[in-house]
Amino acid sequence: MHNAPPGRRRPTPAAGVPLIDGIDKVTGRARYTADLEHRGALVGRILRSPVGHGEILRLDVTRARRLEGVVAVVTGEDCRHTYGVLPVAMNEYPLARGKVRYRGEPVAAVAAIDAETAARALALIELEVRELPAHYDTASARAPGAVLLHEDRPGNIERAVHHVFGDPAAGFATADLVREACIDCAEVNHAQIEPHAALAEYDPQTARLTMQSVSQVTFYLHLMLARCLQMEESRIRVIKPFVGGGFGARVEALNFEIVTAMLARAAEGRVLMELTREETFITHRARPQTSVRIKLGLTRDGRLTACECEVVQRGGAYAGYGIITILYAGALLHGLYDIPAVKYDGYRVYTNLPPCGAMRGHGSVDTRHAFEVLLDRMARELGLDPFAVRRRNLLVAPTRTLNELAVNSYGLADCLDRVEEASGWRGRRGHLPRGKGLGMACSHYVSGAAKPIHWTGEPHAVVNLKLDWDGSVTALTGAADIGQGSSTMVAIAVAETLGVPIERIRVVAGDSATTPKDNGAYSSRITFMVGNAAIDAARRLKKLLIAAAAHKLGEDPENLDCLGGLFGSTRATQTTLSFADAAKAALVNEGTLTVKGTFTCPPEAQGGKHKGGAVGSTMGFSYGAQVVEVSVDEATGRIVVERVWIALDCGFAINPLAVRGQIEGSVWMGMGQALMEETRYLDGMPAHASLLEYHVPTSVDSPPIEAYIVESIDPNGPFGAKETSEGALAGFAPALIAAVADALDVDLDQLPATPDRVMDALVARRRRQRLQHQPAGDAK
Amino acid sequence: MTAPLPPFRVLRPQAIEAAVAAGAAPGGARYLAGGTDLLVNLRRGLLAPAVLIDLGGIAEFADIRCTDQRTRIGSGVTLARLATDPAVGARHPALRAAAVAVAAPGHRNLATIGGNLCADTRCIYYNQSEWWRRANGICLKSGGEICHVAPEGKRCHAAFSGDLAPALIALDAVAEIAGPGGRRRIACADLYAEDGRAHLQLGGADLITAIELPAEPVRSGYLKERVRQAFDFPLAGVAVALATETGRLSMLRVAITGTNSRPFLVENTAALLGRAVDEELLGQLDKLVQKQVRPMRTTLTPAGYRRIVAAALARRLLASLGASAAASVA
Amino acid sequence: MLDDGRSTRGKRILRVRLNGLWREDAVADNQLLVDYLRESVGLTGTKTGCDGGECGACTVLLDDQAIPACLTLAVRCEGRSIETIEGLAAGGRLNRLQRAFHEHLGTQCGFCTPGMIMAAEALLRRQPAPSDQQIREALAGNLCRCTGYVKILESVRAAAADA
Ligand SMILES: Cc1cc2nc3c(=O)[nH]c(=O)nc-3n(C[C@H](O)[C@H](O)[C@H](O)COP(=O)(O)OP(=O)(O)OC[C@H]3O[C@@H](n4cnc5c(N)ncnc54)[C@H](O)[C@@H]3O)c2cc1C
Ligand code: SF4
Ligand code: FES
Ligand code: FES
Repeated sequence: MHNAPPGRRRPTPAAGVPLIDGIDKVTGRARYTADLEHRGALVGRILRSPVGHGEILRLDVTRARRLEGVVAVVTGEDCRHTYGVLPVAMNEYPLARGKVRYRGEPVAAVAAIDAETAARALALIELEVRELPAHYDTASARAPGAVLLHEDRPGNIERAVHHVFGDPAAGFATADLVREACIDCAEVNHAQIEPHAALAEYDPQTARLTMQSVSQVTFYLHLMLARCLQMEESRIRVIKPFVGGGFGARVEALNFEIVTAMLARAAEGRVLMELTREETFITHRARPQTSVRIKLGLTRDGRLTACECEVVQRGGAYAGYGIITILYAGALLHGLYDIPAVKYDGYRVYTNLPPCGAMRGHGSVDTRHAFEVLLDRMARELGLDPFAVRRRNLLVAPTRTLNELAVNSYGLADCLDRVEEASGWRGRRGHLPRGKGLGMACSHYVSGAAKPIHWTGEPHAVVNLKLDWDGSVTALTGAADIGQGSSTMVAIAVAETLGVPIERIRVVAGDSATTPKDNGAYSSRITFMVGNAAIDAARRLKKLLIAAAAHKLGEDPENLDCLGGLFGSTRATQTTLSFADAAKAALVNEGTLTVKGTFTCPPEAQGGKHKGGAVGSTMGFSYGAQVVEVSVDEATGRIVVERVWIALDCGFAINPLAVRGQIEGSVWMGMGQALMEETRYLDGMPAHASLLEYHVPTSVDSPPIEAYIVESIDPNGPFGAKETSEGALAGFAPALIAAVADALDVDLDQLPATPDRVMDALVARRRRQRLQHQPAGDAK
Repeated sequence: MTAPLPPFRVLRPQAIEAAVAAGAAPGGARYLAGGTDLLVNLRRGLLAPAVLIDLGGIAEFADIRCTDQRTRIGSGVTLARLATDPAVGARHPALRAAAVAVAAPGHRNLATIGGNLCADTRCIYYNQSEWWRRANGICLKSGGEICHVAPEGKRCHAAFSGDLAPALIALDAVAEIAGPGGRRRIACADLYAEDGRAHLQLGGADLITAIELPAEPVRSGYLKERVRQAFDFPLAGVAVALATETGRLSMLRVAITGTNSRPFLVENTAALLGRAVDEELLGQLDKLVQKQVRPMRTTLTPAGYRRIVAAALARRLLASLGASAAASVA
Repeated sequence: MLDDGRSTRGKRILRVRLNGLWREDAVADNQLLVDYLRESVGLTGTKTGCDGGECGACTVLLDDQAIPACLTLAVRCEGRSIETIEGLAAGGRLNRLQRAFHEHLGTQCGFCTPGMIMAAEALLRRQPAPSDQQIREALAGNLCRCTGYVKILESVRAAAADA
């Protein structure tokens, strides 16, 4: 590795630093896409399909075009190019062509002088569709004779994955207990609070397009705009304003972004597209409804012998990230525990619903849930403590998993110790009153996909630094700060490496005209990859500065360092040089300095040779263990989460304040999925498409979360850091289900664990108990 | 910019008579109180009145007056005020509990008691955008031909989901109405009909001016079940008011919201009077409630759950109010 | 009656005290307060997160009370005082809630933040030393998707202690 961690220094102050753009946010100055200056911009609106599956027979926009105040109308005729995030699976048009495949799919769009006119224009568009049978669930989509959504995908299977590692049959044969569970997890949505929006401007004189949007992946958006509009990349500029959360909602170019650009070009002007919350839900791209059948083998003392897992994901109408999601679901069965044999069968199914995509914990969450739930049940059956079972199956780093994933640092054992102690597990578990319970589970996640989706041979991350006569350092990064604090991380990494206070660093992020290309904010890659690139850049800059300072001070560069913004000898001579003076000295004969830092994952980190083997590969996994305490109301079925203890091994906390924020946020998002979040379609109509029906937990539903940071110091991470934003999520739901089992001895097989499902389970338990007691004749 | 509201004019009368006169004018007018129900529905295109009559200018609507005989609450009193008014809290715990259970704090600063009583009924097929409802087929309540909840029937089953009504019904409150024909008083229990399309027994220009509650102390409480603990309509909401004499029930009123197209007083509770609150009695109330509620598939939460939980809440309230009555006797 | 001031184009003159300063603007009867603030006045600190009343991102103060600006008609604010996030930093200095939200990471993506801070401001004005439960209840109408509310609570607590 070209980036060995330098001395691990804690940024000052030790508790961490506030976000460098925090003041803009608390004052309301921060401009999100819809806040951008848009006086005089046209209003864009999208016409959406009312039917779930059908052939477009007629789409007549003449009346809409003629309406006064309408400047442009576009349809599928205006873009014959598919788009999609995976080069191998681009099967979607920004506006439907020929067929519509889900209710709400964009069909046409208008740009008009105001919202009233735009609405009227939509109403004047005539759409005639011949309906085809629609498949709203995986069973019907997979049934023999089902109508195909895509001709080239028999059985409506987007991708089937069959992976076997080790010898599962032999593993199960050596087990003392083999059990199976069928677990169903509802589809959920990112529900970031900022609705989707895009502002596009096309200048007909220069034939240039400027796009500002809510994207987490400005580079992919840039690519897709060029492809769909058939424009040269160099004529497009993509800028990321403040973004109000993403969680995966915006990790691929989205239809409305391309449509806004199409409208701007057709109108030869500026178009602002603000989607409603309903449309934001329909745009979707989130975690699919998932059915998991899982089978585990355990020895009497809790050693895992084998795992067999079948996953069916209801993927929606188009490919999106689907292939990656179904591969992740299997690949990340590995990497958390030592399992001798794993068999995985995954099916990603096309259905006539909004396309699913990536969401925090991409691919791993629902299989992890099923795995941990079954492990907990089996531990109970064997009379083993759930902590002990986990400890029995720990990995030893460095190692490679059966599917060739590299595990270079592994703090799970420490995580277990921390939450076991903090929660008072030993004294309390089993001693709580009826209706109260404790449960635990573990989880992990990648720190950036080691193989980028668009393989170009370029480094995985690039950061540029500019040092000018004023002594300020500007870090230029394409990495999208969407609230996770990545720009602050870059500032800290540069400041720490240079040895200057963070105030000296300015970060410019996410503007294709000025910042280097970045693959974007997904798979928790930024800290690891961009952080390493930032350190690399700062080291290069520092070298130049030290050389200049050495010259000026008449010292040997070998003996110079910069600390607290002062260059001086490490051998304690009196003379020092201020950073500003060192900068001036470095600029002599050179002028403004620009240096570049890069980061590249070595090939050996990029996964196994088997088909799909790159998915799941990463430079480092984060590890988490959590304990959840619940009370369950037996009369109403309501679960109250009383408290959560979570320990996450993030390698090293570059900014402990932000790390805690990310851990808390991801645990809490896991809670939402576990307790109440669920998309629901009625004949393909999104019945959940509001923040009233889609239940995001409120402050009164949310427990105190005690977050503990475990630092395993990853050998390759920036300062030893790994990811921190996703790894804790997947552990919440299984810990909650285990806690409910502890409280009331009920097994819940469905997420979310809404009160009605808890009641159903309680009824089932009573029935079960009656049956158990009757034949024995020993009921009290 | 948010999607434009349909065009309408806003009138702001200062007196009740002027408001009623404006309400009766032809062309479609609607009273606007807090707007937290009405504006959402306007934004979704559920209705498009030409005129909104802003009730905020009528000073006496904001009064709460307590006498020895009764509590009189102007229809424009906000839920935030109901939730914090000490006299209301002391006299009518169920009303206070219901008020704090509505929506979220911001809404309660706007929302009024009158608006809560007159809020529209709700259904998952109805509280959707115009695009949604058109794509799915306009249902009975929006002027279409069928009901998606019960396609074989001819009525709308949208559920009344206001939290205050059951409390007021249990507390035997009376609504004072001003209408084109003059003023009248109607028991809150009689304000409603079991029809999701026309759940209010009021004419279009009828205006609730005030609510009156008897002042004599009764034990009362309100409980609601919902998915989230804020920001959510009731899946079922139950109010209980009771009095005891020497440990036995001498009065019992149980009212329920969220399960039917109207909030209603549970019938046949007379059989429970004269008895102590014990398991058997609780079981009987449970049965009464389960028999009388009619939840339909108007929510994403299954109807069967709403039935069970309505009964569970009634039982829980009766038990706790009965126990506190017993404790105060002892 | 309000329609006295109606102009010929269906608008009327609205007089409000916005962040301490009286001003007059022509508004349509059907204009929402949130659109008046964002589109007419240009105060984009107040956000829109939903299709009406479901998220709290638009929370502003109307005569000291936190309300959703997306469920309020602008014309109903005649003669009243409206405060938005932009009005809190008097003389460009952060108020105590803003400072606390910044320092304690009560804001991540920042989209819920203006509404959240306004709701918290209303709370602290009426209850200077709130309990945790009171804070949770006062913010129950403001959804945040980033923080799990943990650091939001810490921020409000810190601001209250900063009196
Ligand atoms: C996110 C959200 C959550 C909600 N949760 C709940 C909840 O949990 N529980 C609940 O009960 N409600 C809830 N509501 C609905 C609403 O906030 C309340 O019902 C509120 O009390 C309505 O009062 P208002 O004054 O705002 O009524 P408005 O919206 O002004 O009026 C409602 C209806 O009543 C009529 N009306 C108003 N005043 C009178 C009068 N004096 N005489 C005759 N007719 C009149 C209006 O014309 C209109 O048809 C919620 C709303 C939202 C947006
Ligand atoms: S109950 Fe039937 S008629 Fe009534 S709103 Fe729902 S679908 Fe429409
Ligand atoms: S914008 Fe969501 S409540 Fe106002
Ligand atoms: S900080 Fe992102 S929604 Fe609250």
